[in-house]
Amino acid sequence: MPLRGTLRLSIAVLSLAALCGLTIQPAQADEPKPKPENTITIQLGQPVPPPKFERPLKFWIADVTDRSGNPQPMLVMKERGGVFLDKQPTALVKDALDQSLKAANLLAADAASADIVLRVYLFHFGLASGSVLDFFGKVEFSAMVKNPKTGESLEVRAVGTSIANGAMRKKNMQKNVEENIEAALRDATRNFLRGTQLKDAVGTLAKGSGVVPVAATAPAEPPKPQPR
Amino acid sequence: MRIFTLSLVALMFAIGAAAGPKNEPPQYKTAETKHFTTAEGVELSPAFVDYFYAELRNELTKAKLVKEVIGEGEAVEDADAPKSLVISGAVTEYKKGSVVKSALIGFGAGFRSLKMDADVVRRSDKQNLCVIHIHVKIDPRWNEKVMAKGAAHEMVKEMKKALAEGAKTAAGEATKPS
Repeated sequence: MPLRGTLRLSIAVLSLAALCGLTIQPAQADEPKPKPENTITIQLGQPVPPPKFERPLKFWIADVTDRSGNPQPMLVMKERGGVFLDKQPTALVKDALDQSLKAANLLAADAASADIVLRVYLFHFGLASGSVLDFFGKVEFSAMVKNPKTGESLEVRAVGTSIANGAMRKKNMQKNVEENIEAALRDATRNFLRGTQLKDAVGTLAKGSGVVPVAATAPAEPPKPQPR
Repeated sequence: MRIFTLSLVALMFAIGAAAGPKNEPPQYKTAETKHFTTAEGVELSPAFVDYFYAELRNELTKAKLVKEVIGEGEAVEDADAPKSLVISGAVTEYKKGSVVKSALIGFGAGFRSLKMDADVVRRSDKQNLCVIHIHVKIDPRWNEKVMAKGAAHEMVKEMKKALAEGAKTAAGEATKPS
């Protein structure tokens, strides 16, 4: 009897171990890896023309910091083998802003010669939770717009969204995700450069008057990451 | 007989062409959508408001109501301001619904319900062009984002109708002899 009991116990323990092994192994196997066939290239396309400022100014993007809190920023989609970005989101946002400012001849050669220095904090880049029927692309960032001569700075927020159709085939899905994120990036760049917030901030800082609207006053420290 | 058939086919083509969609250019140049606010007591996640904002912009683009849909806070050329719209609004009521009621009773009982108001104003003079009230109901088992999609679609449909009626009324008043 005791032997039968021990046998039963051993079988139960072994079955449990096997079951655990089975449940853990697929989870590890499902972890997507970046490969050339599941990597997408995000480009801004046409540069976004910024509005005309009161006087010609030169901008410099000091750095772009990722504040999304995402441990895998290059993984935009985990399902179906995953979809990866070819560059870090911070680099993509910097490229988009650089490209647009350069096209409008508003990009300074270096930080020392710039009238306005931008420090960008990226809160979201990629897909956000949407309805199951489509892809919801979102790019959200905030920039500290600083006048290096006076040391004053103001915060400007920008958000870009895009909705693309869902797809059944992996190839179409990847294409739709790529187009969706590109559209969201273009929208966010446009929202930032053509927004009234940037125009007002630049106007206030360029004057160097020190009169800063209370609602738009920049915090002493950079913006904190948003809760996900 | 042959002539009759040909004339019948030609007539059908003519009717089809007349009833088909007109390729008229959009009446307005730009539309700026703002993030909708939520009234006190409305238990919707901030993600819903974000998604609705994106969906409303998407629906406006698809409906070809305006030439260009711009993001919140974007500048518009002064010359385009009289032909530009600003859309803002609020979620006034949201009921989560009940899966049990929906399953046991059916016939729409226990459905999720969402009520929204939107104001469409002209950018240049802030004149209110129309006020839209919509009420959307969906199955409680569906995602709240599906509800946002439905609400955005319904809102743009109502907006298109209201703006077209407003334009007709304005045109009628303009042609009326004094």
